[in-house]
Amino acid sequence: MSSNAKTSVLNQALKKGFWDMLPLNLAVIPWGILCGSLAIQRGFSEFESMLMPALVFAGAVQLVSIELIASNTSIITLLFTAFIISSRHFLYGLALRHKMKQLTTKWRLSLGFLLTDELFALSGHKRSFVGKVRCYYALAAGGSFYVNWLIWNALGVTAGNIFPDLTELGLEFAIAATFIAIVIPAVVNLPTLVSIVVAGVLAVVFELWHWQFGLVAAAVIAMFSGYSCELLLKRMNRGLSE
Amino acid sequence: MTVLTIILLAMVTFLTRYLFIHPKLPLNIGPRLERFLSYSGPTVLTAIWVPIIFVEHGKFNSDWSNPYLIAAIIAIIVAKVTRNVYLTIGLSVSVFVLCKFYLFT
Repeated sequence: MSSNAKTSVLNQALKKGFWDMLPLNLAVIPWGILCGSLAIQRGFSEFESMLMPALVFAGAVQLVSIELIASNTSIITLLFTAFIISSRHFLYGLALRHKMKQLTTKWRLSLGFLLTDELFALSGHKRSFVGKVRCYYALAAGGSFYVNWLIWNALGVTAGNIFPDLTELGLEFAIAATFIAIVIPAVVNLPTLVSIVVAGVLAVVFELWHWQFGLVAAAVIAMFSGYSCELLLKRMNRGLSE
Repeated sequence: MTVLTIILLAMVTFLTRYLFIHPKLPLNIGPRLERFLSYSGPTVLTAIWVPIIFVEHGKFNSDWSNPYLIAAIIAIIVAKVTRNVYLTIGLSVSVFVLCKFYLFT
């Protein structure tokens, strides 16, 4: 391939990453503003308030830890709570390990840092993170999400008091819509159907219990259900053919 | 002091994201674990989107006047029929806006 053609392929990958992430970027605007303004309200300096999105870069962990730090919770409790909320990322790392461990250190560290729920959602393709073009795609998607998160946190930090509570607008429906658009076409067999039904039901139940570990628990039990169903079907097929 | 706490928090979130993609980690994922993990995408995403639809301020809401529910049903139908991500998001978000700000107010 000529160097011009290569550049245009990489450009396209960057553009596609940006556009694919756009609905999720818009969906988190209220939460970004909320994180920034909550930090200021709870007595964080502007520098500390911006350090949160810049380094921690996780909405749920930010919101919960701002409240915990403000109420002088012990550092152990704080870190443990953050660990529990963040533990769903272990699943993403496990699922993508065979592909991402092959990357060069630079790509692995940067894409690893950017591996949010949102980037994981866009990583379902068989060849995600395989080859330069797919890495550029992930960089544009994850990177735009990072910059977007910083911008809305900054707006919350500097002008949080003039915004009404935007979390009531329902922008997070865009997250649901995007995830539905990704998940539903992937339901091609009974085990997958079983797994997502279990995931959905349990996630709602655990959420109503206000259980921090609920998301991971629902996902892991659902994965077991799907896998068991797959094994059961295989065994039945074998039984029939014998 | 708060800066140090924030750095520790950042190490926790980064650790959870990075640990399992580190090549030197002595972990070999066998074919069984790989099949098990193949369900992670659909299940985690579903465990995130279903509560957005049904849980409002900590309460279960399956009412027909819940705009999230109506729009989610549209999204599922459009996704099933067209398999088009952009069309699914576009149509269902439009229905959501219509329900939330015009029909059910």
